[in-house]
Parts: sequence; structure tokens; C-alpha cells
Amino acid sequence: MLDNGLVKIIIAGEGGQGVQTIGELLAEAAYISGKKALYIPNFGVEQRGGVSIAFVQISKGEIGAPKFQKADLLVVLSQRSVERTRDYLKQGTIYLYDESNIQAPLIDDQAVGVHGYDTVAPEAFAKMVGTKEGEAITPPKQKDLTILGIPAAKVAKEQLTPRVFNIIILGALVSVSKVLEAEKIKEALERKLGEKFKLHPELRKLNFEALESGIHMGLDALTKEE
Amino acid sequence: MITESGGVKMAKETLAGEYQEILNNEKEMFMTGNEVVAWAALAAEADFMYGYPITPQNEIMYYWAKLAPAFGRGFLQTEDEISAGFTMLGGALVGKKTFSATAGPGNILMQESISMAEMMRLPGVWIIQQRGGPSTATVIYSQQEFRLTTTGGNGEGMRLVYSTSSHQELFESTIKAFNNAWKYRFPTFVLGDGYQAKMREPVVLFNPKLRNWEIIAAEPIAMKSGVPYLERDPVHLRNTFNIEEELYDILSGHLADFRRMKQEVVEWDEGGSEKADLLVVAHGIVGRAAISAVKTVNNQGLRVKYFRPITVRPFPGEALRKIVSEEPELKILVAESAYGQLLSVVKEELYGLANTIESYLKPGLGITAEEIEEILVRLGKKEG
Repeated sequence: MLDNGLVKIIIAGEGGQGVQTIGELLAEAAYISGKKALYIPNFGVEQRGGVSIAFVQISKGEIGAPKFQKADLLVVLSQRSVERTRDYLKQGTIYLYDESNIQAPLIDDQAVGVHGYDTVAPEAFAKMVGTKEGEAITPPKQKDLTILGIPAAKVAKEQLTPRVFNIIILGALVSVSKVLEAEKIKEALERKLGEKFKLHPELRKLNFEALESGIHMGLDALTKEE
Repeated sequence: MITESGGVKMAKETLAGEYQEILNNEKEMFMTGNEVVAWAALAAEADFMYGYPITPQNEIMYYWAKLAPAFGRGFLQTEDEISAGFTMLGGALVGKKTFSATAGPGNILMQESISMAEMMRLPGVWIIQQRGGPSTATVIYSQQEFRLTTTGGNGEGMRLVYSTSSHQELFESTIKAFNNAWKYRFPTFVLGDGYQAKMREPVVLFNPKLRNWEIIAAEPIAMKSGVPYLERDPVHLRNTFNIEEELYDILSGHLADFRRMKQEVVEWDEGGSEKADLLVVAHGIVGRAAISAVKTVNNQGLRVKYFRPITVRPFPGEALRKIVSEEPELKILVAESAYGQLLSVVKEELYGLANTIESYLKPGLGITAEEIEEILVRLGKKEG
């Protein structure tokens, strides 16, 4: 994907799904790998509809404006995010979404104070991550997209814990984007959560398992697509 | 007076050592713009920050309050921006390098103290992370504080304003801002925006002294040692005058100083095609989008130049005029996230030249490289 030197990635989901953490870790890992990286959250007092968007650019060369109009890779984690991100699609966009029939946790408009940008460690959102069954996301019908569905929320709920949902997504992004090594993501995780990992080593294990699980999901989805 | 225990003192020294090492070793870091500003203030040897919270600059206060105590430097959260602005001036009077950071409505409230600084020639550094306006509007982003920051207040806009477009430039311009504020004694600003405040990208932090940058020290302006009249000249700082002529004489002197300063501080960035049909003028983060667009369209065969003022006050007008007057057919595009604030300055600087000026004005809205590319392609085609 780095053939043209620059990959533009958008991650969109509900306020509590850890979208900004994914964006931040992804950019940090790219930076650790010696690539140019730029991450900017879509922040506000309260985003209308509660959809949180992270913009990430990874490049070999200099990066221009922090935001962009069309995404090479779009990660969509809730139904509302499908609508919210429609304008960022272009021919050939890789569309990665969570196909589990688990309801994304909606933050209603009353939830003042949940700022998109200060979304912190996934464990802080234990209660906010979706666990209830509901409608799965319906991706767009356009034929010129590469659509990849992964059962992230389902696996998080049944095999790990809903808290590591976003780390699974991050793992899948490693496989799908093909611009980063898993080791660098682990390094970024250590930088961000190192202190917590020291106190609770089981958290490291859990996060790394989630990452591995996501990497496999991403690879499986790519195989199915072919 | 609270005395520090030996343990606290030791912990501070250890932290100060760690921070100093990061600067001395020219360490590259991956951080937000707000964090960059706090580091730059530390590197520029700022003494004290006075501030009042407002998004999107809050983290400057947060990081400064985290970094500064290790070096015995201070932070005070005042009751509002009016107070933050005036306490800054008090600090400057007794010889402290003081600064503040604000945005939007906070920038408006600080104008009173900034005007006073302009009149009394008191130094200070203000970091402005522009948000949407007018009024509370958005906490996100804009370039709508260009006019307020460059020429706000009831005076002549004798201010030095840097508009930055990358974290590296933000770090370096903040250090320059401190130096030039205390060198020339005009209110000095770093005009950033919410995007730069919140985005993360790499930056090389450094100790300016190890790069042989001169760090201008702050000296007491009032409360100097010695007996006035007997041992030294008295200090007489005024912001009130009884006679028109008296004010006029003082202002004429300040304006002459301001014109002299212009020659020494004015900065800009220009580039792109050697011979050009089009010239894009943009500042700050939009300047960055413009440069990236110019590179793309020039690779597709267009001939486009760019001009990005770094000091937007004083404005590098002569440099811009030189480029434009050399090519009578050159068409100009001004792009900004405001409704003509930069555009009016460009028009003023190019007064009398016949070149066409087009504009792309998006008040309060980010501008991407793709949008500018599209316009350049359209304008380029009309030309051919």
C-alpha cells in the first residue's frame, strides 16, 4: 500500500470504542518504524451523533495537510459511522468493518464531556464497549471497494474481553494495511501502557493476544476476499 | 514560605536533568503541538505562564505545569483571560519571561492587556491556538483569529506574529518569539490552530544554546536597583497622555522601531515552479496543504509557485510583491480558513498591480491539499 509513498487511513466508530487509541497507536507504531506519520483526532465538545473519527497518514516522505478527503483504508466500527464516512470513499478504498451482530455502544447527545480526543486506554471504557446482540453493520454496496468484514466484537466478547475490541481492530489493520509490523505496534503499546503493564502484567498478555487475534482475522478476511 | 524537603528537591533535580537531556541530545519526539509549545517555552527559558483554560490550548498549560516546576519555573491559573494578560505584564515588569496561551473568546479578552503592552512596550509571548468564531463557535479549528491577533486592540497593530505550519516550525518559532519579544519589546505571538494543537507528528526538540542561538535574557523593566534620578534614570512607563502631540510623538517613535524590526524579523517560505502561471498564497496549516498541492500539480505539468508568510505581522509584503511584479500574467490564489482576512492583506500589499487575485475562503473549516489541487488544475486550464 505504500507503493505511492502515502497511505491515508480513517478510523470511525462510536465515542467509547477506542477509535482514537487505534489512530494514536497506529501513528506511533509507524513513527517507531522510521516512517513519517501524522495523526489527528476529530475532536469537539461533543460530536454530533457521537461518531468519533481518527485521521492517520503514514508515508515515506513529507506529509501535507493533517486531514484529507479520500481514504485508502477506511475502518468502520458502527452503523452510524457507515453514513458519517461515506464521503471519504473513493474507487479502491479498502473498507474494513466489524461484522459481528453485537450492538456498538451508542453515546447519546446527553453524554456531554466525552471528548473524542482524550479517549484513553481501552480498559477505561470497560462498560462502554458493546456486549449486547443487535444488528450487524451493513457496509456500502459499491462494487469498486474492497470490503473486508471481521468478527472483532464477537471474538472480543466470547474469547477475550470486550475491552480489547480496539486492539483486535488494530491487529486487523496491521494485516490489511501491510505497512507496519506487529512488533512495532507492541512497542507503541508498551510506550502508551507500559506503566499499567508493569502493575498488571496480565493486561499486556491480554492486549497482545487481542493483537494476534486481530492479525489473524485480517489475514482471513483478505484470503476470503481473494 | 513552604520549604522543600530534600526528597522533593532531589526529585526535581532528577526530572530537570532528564528534561534537559532530551533537549541537549536533539531528541526526536512524536507529540501534539500543544506539547511542543510547552517544550519550546522551556527551551526558550520562559519563567512563568499565566493562563485560563480554553480548548484547544489547554494541554499547553498542562504540559508546562508538568515540566516547569522541575526548573523552579512557575504557572498560575488566573480567574480569567483578562487577569492572565495583565499578570503576564506584571511579571515582565519585574524581569520575568512570561507567556500565556489562549484561543477565540480568550484572545478577545486578552486584547486589553495586549494593547497596554503595545503602548508601554512591555514584552510578552502569547500562543494562540485558533478555534472557530465568532464567539464560542467551535473548539476545533479556524484561521479566523488572524485579524484579531495581528491588528486587534485600539492601536496600530505593532505586534510580531508567527504563523506556523509544522511542529518543527512551531518549536522554533516559539523560541524566536521569546527572543524577539524581549529584544524589540512588542507583543509577540505564535499563531497556531486547533489542528496543530491536537495533531501528532515528529519534532526534533533541541537546546537553542547548543545550536548557538542567542537566548535573550529578561531584565527588570520597573523595580530596577539603584535610586532613581541619583543613581539611574527613572523608569516612566505610560499608557495615559494629556496632549495629542505628546501621544503622537511617542507613537511615531514606536512605529519607527516597528519598521526597523520588520527588516530584521520578517520571514516567509516560497517555492514551486521556477517560471509560473499561478501563485498560491496561504499561511499556517493551510500553507502546508498548499505546498503539498503545488508539488502534486507541478508533477502533473502545471507551473505553480507558492508563497507562505511565516511572520504574518509584520507581513513580508516586499517579497510577495517582488514575485508578482516580475510576472504580469501570474494569477494569484489566496486560500484560508477564514473569510478574507489574509486576502485583504495580500490585496493591500499588491495594490496597483494588475494580476488577477482568486480566493478560496472557508471560514472555520479545514482545507485539504486535494481541494487546492482541484482549484489549481481548474485555474491552470483556463490559463492555457
